[in-house]
Amino acid sequence: MHIAAKPDNETARLAALYELLILDTPPEERFDRIAQFAASEFDMPIVLITLLDSERQWFKARIGTQVCETGRDISFCSHAILRDDTMVVEDALQDPRFADNPLVTGAPHIRFYAGAPLALPSGLRLGTLCLIDRRPRTLDTLDLGILGTLRDLAVMELVRTEENHDA
Amino acid sequence: MPDSHILLVEPEPMLRRTVVMTARSLGMSQVHEAASSDAALRMLRSRTFHGAVIAVDCIGRGADQQYDLGLIDRLRADDTPGKTMPIAIMAEQATAELLKALRDRNISRVILKPFRAKVLLETIEKFGASPRKP
Repeated sequence: MHIAAKPDNETARLAALYELLILDTPPEERFDRIAQFAASEFDMPIVLITLLDSERQWFKARIGTQVCETGRDISFCSHAILRDDTMVVEDALQDPRFADNPLVTGAPHIRFYAGAPLALPSGLRLGTLCLIDRRPRTLDTLDLGILGTLRDLAVMELVRTEENHDA
Repeated sequence: MPDSHILLVEPEPMLRRTVVMTARSLGMSQVHEAASSDAALRMLRSRTFHGAVIAVDCIGRGADQQYDLGLIDRLRADDTPGKTMPIAIMAEQATAELLKALRDRNISRVILKPFRAKVLLETIEKFGASPRKP
């Protein structure tokens, strides 16, 4: 299993995340609605809006799982926030970064993952909107466009949180 | 920027915004959004469109229940540019009455629930690929 490196801007990234005062807050309909729409649109059993803390990934919205966080070292999203575009793992068992990951070999038995990074206007990527399935999948150009739009809607809500704190 | 303009009439904001924003990000047709028939009629007066995707509601109760095709009838009226425009309808279910009513109005595409952004975008892509002269 490959553990993702931390981004070069990790200190600033964590500072921006903590400024939102969003970690460990209750579920909110505005984020749940986006995750629910994605689950229905893509027929995905698991959809998450994740935020990457220093040692964990915490779920602001979650469809299809009762778990509210996992270790950052085993998270797919820690890889996804290292890039601007959506990271797609069509079959985790065929990907040496993830084939022996405990989230693949054990529950929830991830085979497919697509994570669109939640980048603030500053460029800092705080987490992802991600789709997870227990079987290999692919996404076409339209799917990726729709996922990107739903990610943009989630970022708008994060920015709104930021603006409410500033007001 | 694409030169075809498509009208999307859909009351559900998340679906509507997702379709409009995705079409824009992928450089597809320009999709103009309306949340209601009234808003759509205002937009139809202000510009011409090359196609429309329209959600139709059921009105009435019990045996009197029927789809509200008022906007379609306005579009297909003799003196409007929308008379020959390709139109797709979004409906909960395809009843025999609805299909006949749509045939009478020269509508061949019916999108049934569950409504997915992808299906709407594929329809918009087809309408935009060969825009008819409005």
